[in-house]
Amino acid sequence: MTYQWFSKKLGGWRSLGFVIATAVLLELISAIQYYYAHYLLENELEERVQIELFSKSKMLHYTLSSAETSLNEHLWDIQRNLNEPDSLFAVTQRLIEANSKIHGAFLAFIPDYYPQKGHLFEPYAYKTNNGIVVEQLSENDTHDYTKHPAYQRMEAEKKAFWSDPYQYVTEEGPQSLTTYSYPICDRDGHFIAICGIDLSLTWLGDTLNTRHMYPSSFNLFMTESGNLIAAPNKDSVSVERVNRVVSMIKDSTVARSLTDNQRSTEIAFTEDNGDQGYIYYAHMSDDPHWLVAVVCYDDEVYGSLAKMRRHILLLMVAGFLLLGLIIIRTIRNMLRLKQAEIKEERINSELRVAKEIQLQMLPKQFPPYPNRKDIDIFGSLVTAREVGGDLFDFFLRDEKLFFCIGDVSGKGTPSAMLMAVTHALFRSASAHENNPARIMQALNEASCQGNDSNMFVTMFIGVLDLPTGHLRYCNAGHDAPFILSHEALNAVECKPHLPIGVFEDIKYNQQECQLEPGSTLFLYTDGLTEAKNSLRELYGLPRTETVLASCSRQLTPKEIIEVVSKAVHLFVGDAEQSDDLTMLAIRYTPTAFESILSQTLTLKNDVHEVPRLHDFLKSVSKQLNMKDPLAAQLRLAVEEAVVNVMDYAYPTGIEGYVTIEAISNGKQLRVIITDSGIPFDPTIQEKADISLTAEERRIGGLGILLVRDLMDTVNYERTDGKNILTLIKEISNS
Amino acid sequence: MKTKIEEIDGKWIATLEGEMDTAAALEMEEVLAPLYNSNGKDITFDCTHLEYIASSGLRILLGILKNAKANGGKVVLKNVSNDIKDVFRMTGFIDLFIFE
Repeated sequence: MTYQWFSKKLGGWRSLGFVIATAVLLELISAIQYYYAHYLLENELEERVQIELFSKSKMLHYTLSSAETSLNEHLWDIQRNLNEPDSLFAVTQRLIEANSKIHGAFLAFIPDYYPQKGHLFEPYAYKTNNGIVVEQLSENDTHDYTKHPAYQRMEAEKKAFWSDPYQYVTEEGPQSLTTYSYPICDRDGHFIAICGIDLSLTWLGDTLNTRHMYPSSFNLFMTESGNLIAAPNKDSVSVERVNRVVSMIKDSTVARSLTDNQRSTEIAFTEDNGDQGYIYYAHMSDDPHWLVAVVCYDDEVYGSLAKMRRHILLLMVAGFLLLGLIIIRTIRNMLRLKQAEIKEERINSELRVAKEIQLQMLPKQFPPYPNRKDIDIFGSLVTAREVGGDLFDFFLRDEKLFFCIGDVSGKGTPSAMLMAVTHALFRSASAHENNPARIMQALNEASCQGNDSNMFVTMFIGVLDLPTGHLRYCNAGHDAPFILSHEALNAVECKPHLPIGVFEDIKYNQQECQLEPGSTLFLYTDGLTEAKNSLRELYGLPRTETVLASCSRQLTPKEIIEVVSKAVHLFVGDAEQSDDLTMLAIRYTPTAFESILSQTLTLKNDVHEVPRLHDFLKSVSKQLNMKDPLAAQLRLAVEEAVVNVMDYAYPTGIEGYVTIEAISNGKQLRVIITDSGIPFDPTIQEKADISLTAEERRIGGLGILLVRDLMDTVNYERTDGKNILTLIKEISNS
Repeated sequence: MKTKIEEIDGKWIATLEGEMDTAAALEMEEVLAPLYNSNGKDITFDCTHLEYIASSGLRILLGILKNAKANGGKVVLKNVSNDIKDVFRMTGFIDLFIFE
């Protein structure tokens, strides 16, 4: 119990630890992978941003420089028409026509350059929906361009420049414009006018954002001072967002060294809704050094990576759950297997003990009666499993060999237990019973009681009277044994009886036959005839008969069983033994009794005849040279036996005879008492209990007690309607 | 087989002589009849000349013993030969009687 608990606990923790360690390791690898991918993405983003910034600034630069070029290309046109102020209107118109991006063009002359044109002269052409309109702006007093910062700057620097973008309301709506101012000088190099072109930048916002790096990312142009030049339209990006970006860039440019304008600058920011964003911006490499900015958002840049990571994480969690489950299951199975092994080992060792116990029950000393020449027995039981359901047994009582062979239905432990019970029953039932049918009956009754498992036993019980070779037997559904006699091989004729343990009220009948001297009784269980080879063929009765017939009649029981075993093994080959195989062979070889004395006395069934018996026995003792107390013992034993017969074999008042025959070979005296009365077997009567007090002692049973004590062997046999009681005494030592 | 009984000093003395086989025991039973009702008197069997006893003889002795004991008497067997004592021993009667 403790062991199981420990191993279960340890196994569980160990597997949990293993799973956790693996998870941590894989998570580490995954994290490294993530950060590496993040790093690569970041690099890629920067590369892309650089390209984006570069291309956008180039685009702006190109737009501006194309406007500059347009202006430069018309400088000669201006120079050529300087002498005719009115033709300058046409020049401004041509300037607009030269470049579609140019919204307006003007020439602002220094005051009083053309006195005939007034103090200020500024030809101006601009686009409207109906074409180009040309006018003289100076006529309007509200427009004094000399006060304009751009004019003053030009007056001071006399160098071309781009103005900061500004809003200008045109017919097409509010426009974002920037003005390129260029100094016009006369032939002497004196500054005489500003040539300006207004470049519309409104389109830039749209053009800038026609292509995005990411769905939500956007680009914008602005001046360093924080004036927005171009931004995506309000529908795609809110004004607030754009303004926030602009102010962040503006704050950043203040802190930043102006010299380092080659590389882009990165600003990370967090939106109010928690979105992480990045601003990359760079200055245009040429004048007017405006800023190009790219704004993108973390979830889009690294969104797919995060998504991938989430998926991988989910997959990993699922994988680990699965792995954990598998490990737990595997460990549980292993533990279960181990426990099963331990259990099996215990069962096996118990079965080994059970097998030993079972084999202990069976006769195991062969030859069992080395001193007897008239009987030789050999038995063999090979179980198919550790324990078997077959049994055989034999024992000698008086001059009778009791033997049995049986086969419990089924195999294994239950059969073995019933086998043990049956074996014990056989011994107890035959202790005071010479009739095999009655022994069988007793076994059947006992087996049927409480036999809920419906197991049964086929059984053959035999009682062999050794002096006569008279075999009485009873077969309860067992395979008929064989008799190997000098002439032939015969199966013992058996009545069809049900096995024991089936019905309680079966009447078993005794059968009889005579065993010839020198013949062998061969008993077996169906493990022999039903032995299977690898082709599932049965060994069968014909093969059994053949091998038995081939046995020499000189073979001992042991040799016969060895021959049969060998034949079966040869037949079965490598196939597994399917059933218990039991064989029992009994060879009957009675020695002839060479009598040197043979005398007979016949008495009436009257105790008054007893003195005649004494005279007869005294005469016999004398002839055999028997002395007291042996002679007296003989007389007492025979008297008791004869009186017993007189008392019980004939009912009171019925006259009958008792014949007493004494025969001896000089070593042994046999007294054979024969009567024709009712069957009466004194040998199975219970002995008187000699340990009781006088008051408890009953009359009776004393006679047979004395007979058994005084004689070496007492044997009863009923043959041909006669009771034959044989008393045997060894006299050679007297 | 010769059997006689006599009453001396309030005690029964029975003398058994010869061989007490089953036939003799039948005859003896009549002779010994008074001992079956001894009224508590002690009984002594003189077995000096008893040569043989069968189980029927033992049965008679047992009957007498049972009666005597029931009435508070004793049964004593005198001068029993070893061979006959063996018979008593085999039957367990050796412990029931008093041997002198």
